[in-house]
Amino acid sequence: MSASPAGLVAATALLALLPAAGLPPYYLHLLASAFLLATLASAWSLLAWGGQISFGQAAFFGVGAYAAALASIHGVVSWAALVLGATAGAAAGALVSAAALRLSGAPLALATFAFAEIGRGIAINWERLTGGGAGIVGIPALPGPASSPRAVAYYLALLLLTVTLSIFVWMARSRLGLALAAVRDDAERASLLGVNPAAWKLCAFALSGGLSGAAGGLYAHMVRVVAPDLVFSAWYSLAPLIMATLGGPRTALGPAAAAVGLYLASELVLQPLVPTLHQVGYALALIAAVLFLPGGLGGLVGRRRSAAS
Amino acid sequence: MPLLEGRGLCVDYGRVRALGGVDIEVEEGQVIGLLGPNGSGKTTLLNVLGGLLCPTEGMVRFDGGLVTGKPPWVFGRLGIGRTFQIPRPFAGMTALDSVLVGVTFSKRRTLFRAADRRREGERLLATVGLADKAGARSSELSLGQMKRLELAVALSARPRLLLLDELASGLSPQGRGEVLRFYGRLRDRGIAIVAVEHSVGTLARVADRLILLNGGVIAAEGPPSAVLASPRVAQAYLGDGDE
Repeated sequence: MSASPAGLVAATALLALLPAAGLPPYYLHLLASAFLLATLASAWSLLAWGGQISFGQAAFFGVGAYAAALASIHGVVSWAALVLGATAGAAAGALVSAAALRLSGAPLALATFAFAEIGRGIAINWERLTGGGAGIVGIPALPGPASSPRAVAYYLALLLLTVTLSIFVWMARSRLGLALAAVRDDAERASLLGVNPAAWKLCAFALSGGLSGAAGGLYAHMVRVVAPDLVFSAWYSLAPLIMATLGGPRTALGPAAAAVGLYLASELVLQPLVPTLHQVGYALALIAAVLFLPGGLGGLVGRRRSAAS
Repeated sequence: MPLLEGRGLCVDYGRVRALGGVDIEVEEGQVIGLLGPNGSGKTTLLNVLGGLLCPTEGMVRFDGGLVTGKPPWVFGRLGIGRTFQIPRPFAGMTALDSVLVGVTFSKRRTLFRAADRRREGERLLATVGLADKAGARSSELSLGQMKRLELAVALSARPRLLLLDELASGLSPQGRGEVLRFYGRLRDRGIAIVAVEHSVGTLARVADRLILLNGGVIAAEGPPSAVLASPRVAQAYLGDGDE
């Protein structure tokens, strides 16, 4: 599932028409949430491109959410608060990468999980700053017309996803993508050719953390509340992993498409049918992807295309 | 001043001493052949000289600067290239992308435009006879082609010194002939080489000097004819006859 810039622009333009077409606010919110998850899944794939598996994207999502929320309730204008959220996420990404410098594979995955838990722990215990377990409420709404408050969040989530996908497409063709692919395949061999693996891995972590942090900041302004168990929840670590694995982490559109598809299927189909078990869909999707779809759905499409040509 | 200088190099793997105080000098453009039986420390010495292994004792200088203990990418950027006995291609990448890694990240190159880097990558593949394999992944290459890709990848960083680990081993007589021609071309380009080859004959034909390693120490060194005439060669490979 490769993506051309023209295709991306066309898809974005089409999605941008939905609010004007009169889509009800509930569906706008649902789609905005799906775009945030798609952003997280693509940000996860940026790390996976370099062979880095994260079990802790919630760390960056949560840090971004808290940074943006704190800035906003202290009077910073919303757009600047969102930029701060992204910056905080990027800083958290760089910090995690620097601290886990020598780790790769499963130990790195467990370390990222631990960082997400540390983030949750800090959010619970640093009460004066974070409001403790109750979190921060009363985050100002995003500015925009009072008649369609959901539309602003929808447009911002769509913009963030478009930026994330554009970064992925650019990355795959850039020096960063080449360095990360070489490090993923054989870090030692890559370093003998002048690649500094630690520096490029840190770049990937900062980029992934920044995009996840931006998603967290936007989420905080959408639901107007942040709490440790909400934004540092394991859901924001597991969902991107499941969605990207199903979509194909080495493809530009696969993770995002799988994220939107899975989330909408879960909320619109499974939730009404089996309210208590609707999240089983994610587990089944992950098992199916691991067993039957090495390379994910995106990889399958790519193989079909190359077989046909 | 030698291009590469190793002094008193020792490497211990736990209680096993793999290298026991090796001194080595490589001049610009010189070809040095390393020979010795299995376990004599040849690959360990290449690993130390290439920055993959920090010696337990001793020091390595390259172009006058101390490089001991520096990370491998520093060795790579300075211009020390390396091939491996068992080829280590970038499994998920095409042959062209594999050579583009060195073309892009070597500090010894200044190709700022992607199109120029791509052209240089294609030229490198053509140099080793893989022009038609640019889009192939390693799983689609034969052993001989993988060895040639291995050499192209090492050359992609424009090395001043190449450490070649058994480039000719496992190849057909025709493939070994090609490797000999590669040695000749590399020498013509002024690239210094430290080569390990199982075939003493191959080494003797390409090297300016031979170094015989045995038990992690240098047992003999000098011009190929002198070293091959030394009784220590037979002693190293066959034992000293007292056992």
